[in-house]
Amino acid sequence: MGVVHGDLMTLNIGPQHPSTHGVLRLKVKTDGEIISEVEPIIGYLHRCFEKHCENVTYEQVIPYTDRCDYIAAMNNNFGYAVTVEELMEIKVPERVEYIRVIVAELNRIASHLLALGAYGLDVGAFTPFLYMFRDRERILDLFETLCGARLLYNYIWVGGVSHDLPPGFIGAVYSFLDYFEPKIEEYNELLTYNKIFIERTGDVGVMPPEVAVSYGVTGPNLRGSGVKWDIRKDEPYSIYDKFDFDIPVGAGEMGTVGDCWDRYYVRMVEMKESVKITRQALKGIPAGDVHQALPKKIRPPQGSIYKRTESPRGDLAYYIVSDGSPIPYRLKMRSPAFTALSVLSEISQGWMMSDVLAILGSLDIVLGEIDR
Amino acid sequence: MSNYFSNIFEAVSTLFTGLGITWRHMLNIRKDNVTLQYPEERWPRPERDIGFNIDDYNVIRSRLQVDIDDCIGCMKCERACPVQCIKIVTTKSGAKGEDLPDINHTGVTSNGTKKALIVSRFDIDMTECCYCNLCTYPCPEECIYMTGGPNSHKHPIDYEFSQYDRNDLIYKFAKEIDDEKLSKYFPQKEEAKA
Repeated sequence: MGVVHGDLMTLNIGPQHPSTHGVLRLKVKTDGEIISEVEPIIGYLHRCFEKHCENVTYEQVIPYTDRCDYIAAMNNNFGYAVTVEELMEIKVPERVEYIRVIVAELNRIASHLLALGAYGLDVGAFTPFLYMFRDRERILDLFETLCGARLLYNYIWVGGVSHDLPPGFIGAVYSFLDYFEPKIEEYNELLTYNKIFIERTGDVGVMPPEVAVSYGVTGPNLRGSGVKWDIRKDEPYSIYDKFDFDIPVGAGEMGTVGDCWDRYYVRMVEMKESVKITRQALKGIPAGDVHQALPKKIRPPQGSIYKRTESPRGDLAYYIVSDGSPIPYRLKMRSPAFTALSVLSEISQGWMMSDVLAILGSLDIVLGEIDR
Repeated sequence: MSNYFSNIFEAVSTLFTGLGITWRHMLNIRKDNVTLQYPEERWPRPERDIGFNIDDYNVIRSRLQVDIDDCIGCMKCERACPVQCIKIVTTKSGAKGEDLPDINHTGVTSNGTKKALIVSRFDIDMTECCYCNLCTYPCPEECIYMTGGPNSHKHPIDYEFSQYDRNDLIYKFAKEIDDEKLSKYFPQKEEAKA
């Protein structure tokens, strides 16, 4: 007996749905329980980020970049600041660079913790979510003492940072790292090597490296497919060339290279690498004035620049056209989550209905950044 | 067939590994408790040991507060705001640096700056505020700030300011100025109108 094909059924997931990680609508065409097409419909969180930027000054753009990828706002600030600095040819003090790397890597850990915890939640594991949120909370506490805000920091400015480290901050980060490192093993025991979790994610939603590259997928999703590409290593910005760290890639340990488990595990290992970078940065942090290079007025010369940085979701880039005024003429943001979402339709074809959410969760999208 | 049973064994054993971890945490519930019972307990509190005292805070994000007696009406905060939630209206004062008791105007700020402008409107719409803190940095008199934290000597922390009516969240910091009394100081303005 051959396979029986019935009519396709259109199923609507979202826009209000806990597993879509925001306001995303998925139009799913199913043949029985097999997916034949997924169409992500975006735009529910569109806030005219790029058009807004054409109406506010360069320093006022930074709170808006916070609100794009609100899970990793430090990295968004960082990317923007680095871009404008290169356009204005500002040399920032060494201490500022170290502080930026520390906060960016801490925020990368926080972002991955949320991604992994929510992913566990997507496939039915509730406890890891709570544990990861508990640890993420400690990072947010650190940021709160640093800049007052827990999520939308406006901390990294063009030419510096808003505040120097508070007294005792370095010790607090050390104690956090000492506390956090053994926790990764705990997560591994709890979730990573859980048989049910492996059955849900291993060999599911395989993204071959050529598909990932042709769609422009970057970050942990690309590395999960076995492609060793990290802007921090391959096109170092700031002072990332000073640090010694590895780039984890997916190896197909629990199935095929590029499956959901690989993408998940790359993030888990990346947290260890971030801990490594943070330790090195804490050790090498020099003294200095963090406000020394802050420009009086941010008025870049005429010209344009495209600069990319590695956010927790991948290749985050800003394209800025300046006409010499204190307001950007045009600002474009290249969102890593957008490309990750665009590949969803391709890699979820032929999988079961319940796998779509497992695949979507493994891509770790943030709708604030996709819709901007 | 053996594969079938080994799968079951693996599933059950990893399940118990996970349960063991949660069980360990449950035994340490007193020590590992991280939940704050919000209305009774409040963060920030130094007791929650993350190695920080509230005095060590660099900055805090809470409600914006303006010491209007120190405001010189320079409008730097209004220009710095990325969402335009600060609205300021000023009138030129005829007597620079003089107290005008009729309209509750003090002439000199606590820093000793003589005021040349009377601030007749200083509204901050906290529903629009994005808590970016950009308005507080340019202020030359340091009279606009966020309450609590390093500023607690100026104003105690206030982050629970919900209201039943949205209009109550528009904070009006300027002193109420009677138009009649204001016109007493600026008769020439009236003439121009007429």
